Amino acid sequence: MSHDCDCGDAQDQLYQYLDSELDSETATSVRSHLDDCNGCHDSFDFERRLKLIVRQCLTEDMPETLEVKVRELIRSETSRRSQ
Amino acid sequence: MADQANFERDAMQYSRQLYSAAMRMARNPADAEDLVQETFLKAYRAYDTFQEGTNLKAWLYRILTNTYINKYRKESRRPSEVDLGDVEDLYLYRRLGSEDTVDASRTTEDRVLDGLVESDIKAAVEELPENFRMPVLLADLEGFSYKEIAEILDIPIGTVMSRLHRGRKAMQKRLWEFASQRGLVPEDAERP
Repeated sequence: MSHDCDCGDAQDQLYQYLDSELDSETATSVRSHLDDCNGCHDSFDFERRLKLIVRQCLTEDMPETLEVKVRELIRSETSRRSQ
Repeated sequence: MADQANFERDAMQYSRQLYSAAMRMARNPADAEDLVQETFLKAYRAYDTFQEGTNLKAWLYRILTNTYINKYRKESRRPSEVDLGDVEDLYLYRRLGSEDTVDASRTTEDRVLDGLVESDIKAAVEELPENFRMPVLLADLEGFSYKEIAEILDIPIGTVMSRLHRGRKAMQKRLWEFASQRGLVPEDAERP
């Protein structure tokens, strides 16, 4: 892609940009487009915030007992094998 | 090759993250716990085949994913490969009008992003067909790269990208419905 990135280019790269999958040159050209274009900036910002919220909402607190169970499972497997 | 004696030290640090992913796969705590236990047991047994210095987190997710697929696909009759209808890009953002009718200090986007509750987001992801849900979970919950997701799911990177793209759009469509039910969006709001 050339250094000039238009709205179509930027929108095509939106997820790759937010997922940090673009090479640094392409990411820079997308970023410079976002600095100049309010419309694209707003849509990128919305998607970025949504991605963050999705991550927060999907994170679960693991029950304390589960870690204990897993460690016990591994230890009993170890002793079973050494017998 | 990795030493089994180091398994707990090396692998247990990922248990919390694996549990979060297991919850979104199995959709209930009891099955998620089973899934995590089975994953760690399998991983422990196979740990001497793990190439030390390579990506342990991705290796554990591959075991988790395969365990889930083998265990639950058999039990449920849900088809594993489902297609999604056509949904436009930036679905949610485009459906949100730019006019602020309720509170001039906050945009409709702010109201929606603040107003959607955790259960809406969870439901929108859990309702995705499995072949779309997995890439979304691995990218958005875990932050794996496309290349890592391709390796975990054993599918080409182009397939990862298209499923991720379509999965996210379908998720946004569902979120729009939740936002609408909660009265977070003005009637007939749509960006030109």
